[in-house]
Amino acid sequence: MANLAIDIKKQNTYDAIVIGSGISGGWAAKELCEKGLKTIVLERGRDIKHIQDYPTAMKNPWDFEHRGQVPLSVRSEYPKGRGAFLREETLPFALKEGVQPFVEEKPFTWVRGYHVGGKSLMWARQTQRWSDLDFEGPQRDGFAVDWPIRYKDLAPWYSHVEKFAGISGNKDGLPELPDGEFLTPIELNCVEQHLKQTLTKEYNNKRHVVQGRCAHITNPQPIHYKQGRATCQHRNLCSRGCPYGGYFSSNASTLPWAAKTGNLTLRPFSTVHSIIFDEKLNKASGVRVVDTNTKEMIEYHARIIFVNGSALNSNLVLLNSTSDRFPNGIGNDNGLLGKFISWHNYRGKISAEYEGFLDKTTDGKNPSNGYVPRFRNLYTQETDFLRGYAAGVGAGRGSSSNREGIGEDLKNNILYPKMNNHWHVSSWMMGECVPIEKNHVRLHETLKDPYGIPQLVTSAEWTDNDAKMVKDYLEQFTEMFTKAGFRNIKGADSMSNPGSDIHEMGGVRMGNDPKTSMLNKWNALHLCKNVFVTDGACMTSTGTQNPSLTYMALTARAANYAVSEMKKKNL
Amino acid sequence: MNRRTVIRDLTLALGGLATVPAWANGWKAESLLMPTGLLKPTEQQMLAIVAETIIPESNTKGAISLGIPAFLEIMLKDCYEAPVTENVINGLKAADATAESQFGKSFADSDTAQKQQILLGFEKSQDTKLKDFYTLIKNLTILGYTTSEYVQTGFLNYNMAPGHYYGCVPVKK
Repeated sequence: MANLAIDIKKQNTYDAIVIGSGISGGWAAKELCEKGLKTIVLERGRDIKHIQDYPTAMKNPWDFEHRGQVPLSVRSEYPKGRGAFLREETLPFALKEGVQPFVEEKPFTWVRGYHVGGKSLMWARQTQRWSDLDFEGPQRDGFAVDWPIRYKDLAPWYSHVEKFAGISGNKDGLPELPDGEFLTPIELNCVEQHLKQTLTKEYNNKRHVVQGRCAHITNPQPIHYKQGRATCQHRNLCSRGCPYGGYFSSNASTLPWAAKTGNLTLRPFSTVHSIIFDEKLNKASGVRVVDTNTKEMIEYHARIIFVNGSALNSNLVLLNSTSDRFPNGIGNDNGLLGKFISWHNYRGKISAEYEGFLDKTTDGKNPSNGYVPRFRNLYTQETDFLRGYAAGVGAGRGSSSNREGIGEDLKNNILYPKMNNHWHVSSWMMGECVPIEKNHVRLHETLKDPYGIPQLVTSAEWTDNDAKMVKDYLEQFTEMFTKAGFRNIKGADSMSNPGSDIHEMGGVRMGNDPKTSMLNKWNALHLCKNVFVTDGACMTSTGTQNPSLTYMALTARAANYAVSEMKKKNL
Repeated sequence: MNRRTVIRDLTLALGGLATVPAWANGWKAESLLMPTGLLKPTEQQMLAIVAETIIPESNTKGAISLGIPAFLEIMLKDCYEAPVTENVINGLKAADATAESQFGKSFADSDTAQKQQILLGFEKSQDTKLKDFYTLIKNLTILGYTTSEYVQTGFLNYNMAPGHYYGCVPVKK
């Protein structure tokens, strides 16, 4: 019998454990497997295999029984609040009710992708690099703590992940938005160009519209063909999964690559309960996993552990990893674990119309959009709020049909839509939120989820800084649009919930000082150096950039560091 | 749903349609009826006539030849709650009642202009139940019509994979 126990332990022992198979977990798997580490990736949800598990990817509108509307009987399987967002086209990736109940102490929208690939199958594919204007933010403006890294530490890793993932973008030469390793950019359309020129002229070249850099393959390189991926077909059906691998996802890219090395074990239906801390060896020795089908608990062992369960979930795992040494969660001597949760401010929205370029239109589909990099408080403090906002901006020349009336006339209006006598323009803000200690997650004292894991309590709300920022965005963009000759400008504060931007982050922040941070400059827990956290949980501040590219770069950097430390026998 | 079962059930249901008006000769069984259990055959016929009034057949196809009535019934059955579907059934009855009182005949036997007049009256009605009934059926009819293969590929330039994006091209005359 003793032999059996030893055999099981040996069978469940790997060089590395990766918690989560999403956009950052996939990168951990790829880097670690490439370097020869036997790696197990533990994914709580079901497997989604590239191409074969994208059931709606090739369906036409008429192939959907309810033309996209989800039947009531099916709707009831999903959380109430998400009803409006459910669509037949993307239902396969939606999270069902009851999978992971959590407690909203204050309203919080928590969008999760619990399947292999996670939110890398659902993301907007926008990718921008941070600059030192972002890394230096906390120190300059006096919030959070200083980042323990700077742009120069991450720049080579941005290049590394961009080349593999395939990033389309234009070299714009802006210090606040560093250029990267770009494939052919997607063009701005006439109206977006016009706005760009207006801003250059009217704001002394200090405000810019650029092509939104995005994770779409516009001209494939050998590395992309090697991954089995092809050119983006501009279908704009990304959220169904892309059979061409045209955009970056774990499913299309990093996971198959890791599998090809022969070093990958991917275990779906594996919810990580906690990290096992070995008090004698003073390091983590593995994880406890609840099999989501059988509910049995299984232990896996490894020399290093990468925590990529998605920001709040990574917080949950660490908080639940209690021991005599760490009664408040692994690495949590300073009590900061779960605190300084933040996200992006997407509350402000603007729309407008433009009556120029009526002899022009667009052709095809744009999987990206225009992007206005942050211009507020870049080099000096100019406003009554800290930090600033980037914005997406997009224009289109639509057509419409008059739907009044009935009969043959109505039908003909529908069959022969008329091109609009204007372009429509829309913009959405992406503001940097200043993390505050009060915004936190913690474990519920009594409530548990179906796997015996404590439910997460989210306790976060907007601050005055956020409200002031929304006001400024609306004022500035109204002014900018007016200068561009746009009319019928309508702006509003959507008052959306914290978290509805889907860029929730923080709780396990990086920093130089173990007293005021959880992770060191290599994303390792100060107090448990073989545990690495490289998803959104590690973020000390939020910046304005869509964060996934930064998660990928941090992950690749930390994974390569971890391997070199293992080679030196330090881990 | 087993196709043979569907056709068998359609044949049974069609028994009630032995006396369709002459102008309904072009109707195909499958495009007309779908046994979801929500509507009686007479109600299904009414719904089809309403849909065809909204989008009629001419040199371009109308609601019935594109299978819209079946689509409407599936949408009502699957996606709308009982009070809404009951309101639809009542609305169909009201269309007949209005035709009787205004023109002395059934809705089905009224001519096109008369049918249109009745429905347009519902659209502007102060009675919110009638207005909601017609608005829902109109919107769903238009939805089914515009997302059909015939309309998408024949008229709305459907292209699943354009393969490109050009930001500034001349409008085609």
